[in-house]
Amino acid sequence: MALLELNDLRVSLEDGTEIVKGVDLDVSPGEIHALMGPNGSGKSSLAYALMGHPAYEITGGEALFDGQDVSEMGADKRAQAGLFLAFQYPHAIPGVTVTSFLRSAINAIRKARAGGEDDPVPIPEFRKELLEAMEHLKIPRELAQRYLNDGFSGGEKKRVEILQMAMLKPRIAVLDETDSGLDIDALRIVANGVRELVGPETGALVITHYQRILNHIKPDFVHVFVDGRIVEEGGPELAHKLEEEGYEAFLPEGAEA
Amino acid sequence: MRRAELLERYRALPMPTTTDESWRFTDLKGFDPDAFVQNGHAPGPGPRTMLEIDVAGLATVDGGGLEIERAPEGIRFELLDESHPQLGELVAADEKFAAQNAAQWEHGLLVHVPKGVVLEQPLYVRVANPPDGEALFWRLLVVAEPGSRFSLIEDLSAPDPELAGYSNAVVELFVGQDARVEYVSLQNLARETWHFASHRARVGRDAELDWVAGGFGSKKGKIRIENDLAGQGATSRVTGAYFADGDQHLDYDTLQEHQAPNTTSDFAFKGALRDEATAVWRGMIRVEPDAQKTNAYQENRNLLLSPKAHADSIPGLEIQANDVRCTHGATVSQVDREQLFYAMARGLTQSDAERLILRGFFQDVLDRIELEPVREALGEALEARIPQG
Repeated sequence: MALLELNDLRVSLEDGTEIVKGVDLDVSPGEIHALMGPNGSGKSSLAYALMGHPAYEITGGEALFDGQDVSEMGADKRAQAGLFLAFQYPHAIPGVTVTSFLRSAINAIRKARAGGEDDPVPIPEFRKELLEAMEHLKIPRELAQRYLNDGFSGGEKKRVEILQMAMLKPRIAVLDETDSGLDIDALRIVANGVRELVGPETGALVITHYQRILNHIKPDFVHVFVDGRIVEEGGPELAHKLEEEGYEAFLPEGAEA
Repeated sequence: MRRAELLERYRALPMPTTTDESWRFTDLKGFDPDAFVQNGHAPGPGPRTMLEIDVAGLATVDGGGLEIERAPEGIRFELLDESHPQLGELVAADEKFAAQNAAQWEHGLLVHVPKGVVLEQPLYVRVANPPDGEALFWRLLVVAEPGSRFSLIEDLSAPDPELAGYSNAVVELFVGQDARVEYVSLQNLARETWHFASHRARVGRDAELDWVAGGFGSKKGKIRIENDLAGQGATSRVTGAYFADGDQHLDYDTLQEHQAPNTTSDFAFKGALRDEATAVWRGMIRVEPDAQKTNAYQENRNLLLSPKAHADSIPGLEIQANDVRCTHGATVSQVDREQLFYAMARGLTQSDAERLILRGFFQDVLDRIELEPVREALGEALEARIPQG
């Protein structure tokens, strides 16, 4: 059984519009999956629904994380179990520094894993790990003392998402269009961050419109996602084919990519 | 004025109603200020302190009287005499509750710091919540002579959050030339206690007043915070942080009165409201014709943590000089669902996420507070108001 298992998953918006229309997908540690699709295909909705955003409701099928039905878990429980979402548009929390936010998140996860007992990370250990991760992701030190995503550039926000991923060490990371708005150097750094995380303990689902991030990440599996469904699956060669031919071949007639 | 005359004046003043502009959002229906036993002789329960802090002077006030537990040498930190010449000079008996205080106060404190005296540690006065059915009229007079420097903390607190009493406070602060005064007023009264307060300061030439107002308790009432920038180059900075929940109602009425040229005032209030709690904040910047080069700022921001919580924010300007800089800002916002989701997606429980967002919301006003124990106590008091989820 895969760590993340989607069986005929259906997701609707609050107004009842069905936006994910039956998806089967398995992601296990050690694997990198790419979910590629045109704008408006429902990729981000799938990501939000997996993480438990209240505006997206699972209306059919199931999403299992480590065998457990995620629809019975709040976003906090999913994160504590080891699911991570790198947001396409990360939110600002004014007045809360990156450092303080990360420490709160790590301590929340540690507390959950210690059966509800406080088990705070020792500060020297936390600091050391944070500084190393920041250096590795080429994030300037001063960013750690700034308020989370408050006034950050697009590139800073994306790097800080990857920083959070590196510090929280999830078992499955979902990256929602993390490549959008990044220049080539930032893209390489972010892609390295993902590649280094994936291993025996961790798998990744990389959601993207473009093939370019996949040059750096090298997915094991590529899924083409159109109009709420996976319409084609294959290996890395599928991504190249999409780059050359676009999504047209997969679109319903009359639609534009 | 004699007590009898003051009492007469109090009786002649009508109870404010919501048809009075400044009481529009604070309905006193069901409140009778004469129904409480005044200055009950049974001592009230000793106040529980909000702060752990080393102090130079300590006083405690309750229904039984005022006790000076410690007083530093070289200053006057003593019972206030009703014949003090400056009494009533700043807060006149021309408003219902200030008039009642003037007529009926019994236990007051005088803080008089002579010229050039600098106190390293703060002075601390703890005021008890009146017991059920009783009233406490608290009176504080502060005289900071030229060049003096000190901090004064006034802490109104309740050992039992359900006490249904009536608290009425009048505070007058005279800040002399070149003096630096830090005044911290913490209101942590019982949630069934009515609380009315009038605080007014006069800030002299090149003097600085740094004022912190924390509002957590009481049922309903009104707190007036008024500053006269009376001497050239005077500065006053007022930082407010409040939190109300249940059916609490907080009302702040602030005045920045610029009377002299080159004066600065900077008022920043932030509040968070939960459940069905409500708050009203009214700010007035008044600049008199002589007060050229005034720099005045006022800000009030509210964070609503529940759909039924409500805040009204009414900034105001009355400017009679032409070379001034006055700015104000007021906002009321809900806790952002996306922010909450973002924090929860990192593993924080909903209550931890709310607490984090709340702390972030208050961070800039907390950063304005110089005294570290006060800053920490306020931060903790705010976070403690989000129930454990």
